[in-house]
Amino acid sequence: MWTAAVALLLTLTPGWRPGLVVFRTALLTAAPFWVFLRLLHDVPTTIAIGLRITTMVASFVWLAATLAPDRLVEATVARGWSVTAAYLFAATITAVPTLRDRARRIVEAQRCRGLSPRGSLGNRLRALRALALPLVLSALHDVDERALALETRGMVSGARRTPLAPPPDSAVERAARWALLAACVAALIWRFK
Amino acid sequence: MSIRLLALIPVAAAISLALSAAVDAVALPLFLDTTGTILATTLAGPGVGIATGVVTSAVNTLRNPTFWPFVVVQIIVALYAWAAARAGLFRSFRTAVPAGLGLGVIASLTSTPISYLVFGCTTTGGIALTTALGKALGLPPLGACFFGSFLSDFGDKAVTFALVTSVLHALPRRTAARFPWALRAIGAA
Repeated sequence: MWTAAVALLLTLTPGWRPGLVVFRTALLTAAPFWVFLRLLHDVPTTIAIGLRITTMVASFVWLAATLAPDRLVEATVARGWSVTAAYLFAATITAVPTLRDRARRIVEAQRCRGLSPRGSLGNRLRALRALALPLVLSALHDVDERALALETRGMVSGARRTPLAPPPDSAVERAARWALLAACVAALIWRFK
Repeated sequence: MSIRLLALIPVAAAISLALSAAVDAVALPLFLDTTGTILATTLAGPGVGIATGVVTSAVNTLRNPTFWPFVVVQIIVALYAWAAARAGLFRSFRTAVPAGLGLGVIASLTSTPISYLVFGCTTTGGIALTTALGKALGLPPLGACFFGSFLSDFGDKAVTFALVTSVLHALPRRTAARFPWALRAIGAA
């Protein structure tokens, strides 16, 4: 219960108004799990698993709200980690909204051309193919452009890069990280002793 | 790893996450969240496929934290798709759809213990409801959980394999030839 409470309180750290939005998002994301847990389990099991899921949900919602992909890339480069891993994570995060927009445009364009996404299962599957195929093919055509852009920026594996604006890493933050790691190890030992 | 294959990974992962818009438009109970993993594997082999699966899970976790423990399913999907590509099973729907159904069984067998132990079978609303249906039919808790996962995975993976087959056949040969595995997956090399 305490870990769930701490995780939910953390969602308020971005400030009063933005923090409330993150807090509300965490609660709204976790709420359906409680409903489905109650549907499938008794009350003690619902509370035990529900608190675990709420902790996970609140932690990740907080992370998603506070983590800027470009800052993550700079931080990993500054620490000497593989720039490839940082690129994969950040490039996917930025590519998803672009492809979602393109998917919506394809859906609208196909509807204008008379595509009906309703009716029998066969009809719907044919409609799905007509919507998904242009999206996937156009995305694959982007690969060459992206590869060219990476090549011109000297993105080769094993190359050391210099971060332009590395995020500051204060002594307090370093101490907090070590303290949290120690707390995790202590919690694991306490859990399995 | 070549730059082209490196550029393929985020694109394939984003395909998996963006296809939900197309699925929503046709209102079918599908996820298609392994499309990018299977596509990347059939184009570029198991290493790129596994990397795509891991990146897909990591980014999806920021949207729904329950996805991360299922990263192992993405890895198994990539390995299975690689075996299917080596055998040329993407050469037609007649071979791809049964292979997808086989993957549905394996994926549900893999995801059931994770779903049961970590989340009490409540990963998505659809799976929770089908698990409740399994319980109502008198199945034990783990059996009901498998029933729920199986119903959602079985058709989903068959449709995903069929979709990837469509994509591989629709790719111009010159484009396909730039990826090391594409022509072999459709039985053209």
